[in-house]
Amino acid sequence: MSQPPPPSAGRELANPPSDGISNLRFSNTSDHLLVSSWDKSVRLYDVSTNSLKGEFLHGGAVLDCCFHDDSSGFSVGSDNKVRRIVFNVGKEDVLGTHEKPVRCVEYSYAAGQVITGSWDKTVKCWDPRGASGPERTQVGTYVQPERVYSLSLVGNRLVVATAGRHVNIYDLRNMSQPEQRRESSLKYQTRCVRSYPNGTGYALSSVEGRVAMEFFDLSEAAQAKKYAFKCHRKSEAGRDIVYPVNAIAFHPIYGTFATGGCDGFVNIWDGNNKKRLYQYSKYPSSIAALSFSRDGQLLAVASSYTFEEGEKSHEPEAIFVRNVNEIEVKPKPKAYPTPAA
Amino acid sequence: MAKDPILQVETTCGSLLYELQIIWDEVGETETDRDQMLLDLERECLEVYRRKVDQANRCRAQLRQAIADAEAELASICSAMGERPVHIRQSDQSVGSLKQELGKILPELEEMQKRKTERRSQFLLVLEEIENITNDIKGQGEHVLSKPLVDETDLSMRKLEELHSHLQALQKEKSERVETIRKHLCTLYSHCSVLGMDFNEVVSQVNPTLTDPEGPRSLSDHTIDNLDAAVQKLREVKIQRMQKLQDLATNMLELWNLMDTPIEEQQEYQHITCNIAASEHEITQANSLSEDFIKYVEAEVVRLDEVKASKMKELVMKKRSELEEICRKTHMLPVSDSTMDQTIVAIESGIVDATLVLGHLEQHISKVKEEALSRKEILEKVEKWLSACDEESWLEEYNRDDNRYNAGRGAHLTLKRAEKARNLVNKLPGMVEALASKTIVWEQEKGIEFLYDGIRLLSMLEEYTLLRQEREEEHRRQRDHKKLQGQLIAEQEALYGSKPSPSKPLGGKKAPRISTGGAATNRRLSLGAGMHQTPKPNKKADQRQVDGALSTGRRGLDVAGLPSRKQSMNPCEQLQSPLVRKPFSPISTTVVASKANIATPQQLVPNSKSNAVNEMSSFATPVKNNIIKNLEEEKMMSMLQTPKNVAAMIPIPSTPATISVPMQTAPTPLNNYARLLPEKTEVVEYSFEERRLAFMLQSESLIHV
Repeated sequence: MSQPPPPSAGRELANPPSDGISNLRFSNTSDHLLVSSWDKSVRLYDVSTNSLKGEFLHGGAVLDCCFHDDSSGFSVGSDNKVRRIVFNVGKEDVLGTHEKPVRCVEYSYAAGQVITGSWDKTVKCWDPRGASGPERTQVGTYVQPERVYSLSLVGNRLVVATAGRHVNIYDLRNMSQPEQRRESSLKYQTRCVRSYPNGTGYALSSVEGRVAMEFFDLSEAAQAKKYAFKCHRKSEAGRDIVYPVNAIAFHPIYGTFATGGCDGFVNIWDGNNKKRLYQYSKYPSSIAALSFSRDGQLLAVASSYTFEEGEKSHEPEAIFVRNVNEIEVKPKPKAYPTPAA
Repeated sequence: MAKDPILQVETTCGSLLYELQIIWDEVGETETDRDQMLLDLERECLEVYRRKVDQANRCRAQLRQAIADAEAELASICSAMGERPVHIRQSDQSVGSLKQELGKILPELEEMQKRKTERRSQFLLVLEEIENITNDIKGQGEHVLSKPLVDETDLSMRKLEELHSHLQALQKEKSERVETIRKHLCTLYSHCSVLGMDFNEVVSQVNPTLTDPEGPRSLSDHTIDNLDAAVQKLREVKIQRMQKLQDLATNMLELWNLMDTPIEEQQEYQHITCNIAASEHEITQANSLSEDFIKYVEAEVVRLDEVKASKMKELVMKKRSELEEICRKTHMLPVSDSTMDQTIVAIESGIVDATLVLGHLEQHISKVKEEALSRKEILEKVEKWLSACDEESWLEEYNRDDNRYNAGRGAHLTLKRAEKARNLVNKLPGMVEALASKTIVWEQEKGIEFLYDGIRLLSMLEEYTLLRQEREEEHRRQRDHKKLQGQLIAEQEALYGSKPSPSKPLGGKKAPRISTGGAATNRRLSLGAGMHQTPKPNKKADQRQVDGALSTGRRGLDVAGLPSRKQSMNPCEQLQSPLVRKPFSPISTTVVASKANIATPQQLVPNSKSNAVNEMSSFATPVKNNIIKNLEEEKMMSMLQTPKNVAAMIPIPSTPATISVPMQTAPTPLNNYARLLPEKTEVVEYSFEERRLAFMLQSESLIHV
């Protein structure tokens, strides 16, 4: 067969952040992309025109960001602060603070609340409509067993993954205590947790090239379905090199998902049929974050060194936006010949 | 009484004289007077005589003159008419008196004059006609009605003949011209009708007289030349249009062909395409080359072109899906999507001619088909092998099922299937062998690797063989272990008496399955690496010993909660623990410490080449060494993957993987809440971000200092 063509990584956005990309997210209403970075900035791109629409500089590395609506969003970072940023006027205000750097932020459209997870071993909920000042905006503080590493939210269900492989599952309507307390099925540090779009469970990735597929339903039948699989590994000279899985992003329509690892690969998986659907060609650097656009037609890929090997020279940060082919993300039911039994 | 008058006059004269004498006598005239008077009388008489003679003489001269004149005229007429004069006067022989002569010549002259007039009118007639025809031919247009000049001096018959022959020649020429014009007009008419032009208008441009069917037509050279030119011009136009039409028809045929236009739709234009190879003179149908008609055809071609343009993408997509379908069926790697996308974009933007792409695709398809044919035999075998592998894995699972002999609905069917599967599994090694040799032959023949969904079939087979070997080894070890356990129990029993339950010590064997979900993943991952080991399997054991320390360490982490946990501390952790620091505490030694962390696994595994992994191990990521096989881990493996799934494991460097590959999955254990709480992390783990922030703060503080 003919040689494969040179890989196309997708369109690269102009003006990428100057230091590591901590997260990126597509808007729910447009092709705008919000990017937080270790260079202390939050940037807003219009992907359709490949232009930088706005930039906010904070006091410390920005560890996460999310959209509120198309004109505003939230960012959290190493300066312990939770900020609201308004894009069109370039305004920012502080919703409140944690005691330690804030690792992740989510906005719940169902509850109208901002949820943040911090290394101070708490999750806090904020009401962004409240008057300025932590006393007014803060809705509640919920102690976690360890430092919060990743949050995921679908509907009213909040999944909190922390250091020590703890996973707490909350219902936003009753945050007083976790609905479920679990331990990660994976033996190594949790990198990322993302709920299924249909709200039945979550995928959790670890630093050791593995992703676990979990279900909220505690019945035995449901729990029998859970499994974990290996990915983002490479065998070289008789040894397996195992890479951390930094990012998981679910396709909003098909429910299939993309994973990104420190090996610079992005894989697309069909969780129901337990198949890998696609592997995109290698990116120059680790995949730090992934996000599908609202219609699933675009996939934003942050190719950025994630400090997995400490300080070292590395490829420059880059954001690629690739057009997603339906064939790459559409589930492929397996056609097993049914045995005679 | 007739008497001679002279005599009478004489008498009278004598009587008169006598009388005079008497008178004189009476009068008495003298003699002299008398003599004088007589002399006078005498003289007077003489005078009268002389006068009369003169008169007669003059009359004679006149008469002679008249005769001469008549004779001269007669002669001139005769000479003009080219005839011998009828009357030739012999001057010597006298014919008679002058009056007689004149009387004879005059009727002759009259006759000749009459004949001359006749002849002259004949001449006039001929000349007039000649003049007419000449006029026609010269093409003065209107007739000059001038009387032609007749040369009076030559009215001979010979001349008349000449004129007549001239006239005839002229008439012939005229008729020839008429014929020429008629022919030209005919041609012109047919051309006009084919080209859909107004014949009368075209003709009247050449010469207006030609349009009048009744009236005289211009026959001049000029007209004929013009007519000829017009015919030539129309012919050229016709040829031009014909070529254009034929070009269009060719286009149309190509488009039909390209788009599989239905016959009904083609029928409408059949009369155009049937003329595609016709020569100029064959096209005679009225209006078949008119401007309107050509426009009409042009419009159709344009329409088809548009349809084509819109369909082109579709066509390309169709061809492409055809290609993909073939590839999919034969488990070959199709052309990557991105190139296809690029091609489509290129087509849309018009950079690339879609027909070229189509042709290229067509070529590609035929090539792939050819290849597919050659792969067929092997593919069939591969399918057989894969289904056998499926059965094998099913059997594996079935064998683990402790309740497999429970009689239930369909149990006998399962038993039957297991029986069959066992047979099949026994045949598997042979199958693999045969398949591998076939593949090798194929590869040698073709000079390329046999790829199955982008993965080299031979490597799949090798992996499978390896997996099988490992499994056998595992089974063997499992048996050894059991034996060992049995011995241990026996020894203990010998020492301390019998224990209540021999199964209790074996609990360690079962526990991992429940508690360590992560470890319970299949081990296909390791196959890729194991593959490289296959040629020297005896090395395995050594290797295992070398890595023993590390593997124990890892095992310790993996099976946290097992009785053996305490004694198997991860060496990394052991090293790390004294250097544990708070995430953001001031760092002076941490750099060194982290370096030490990184270094540790390298010291432990000197032959490790994967730095990344080693560094990762400092925060509890293990170095995976596939050669390490330890019992516990083997037992933890809850699901052996079918070799078919191996595919996903092999790094696929740049091939765009459209093939969907099954994941390497394993059921994760149910959560054990009870176990979760008491467990305490002995080492403070840090995420990349925490480490990064610490580094950032440190370097910032360094800058400030």
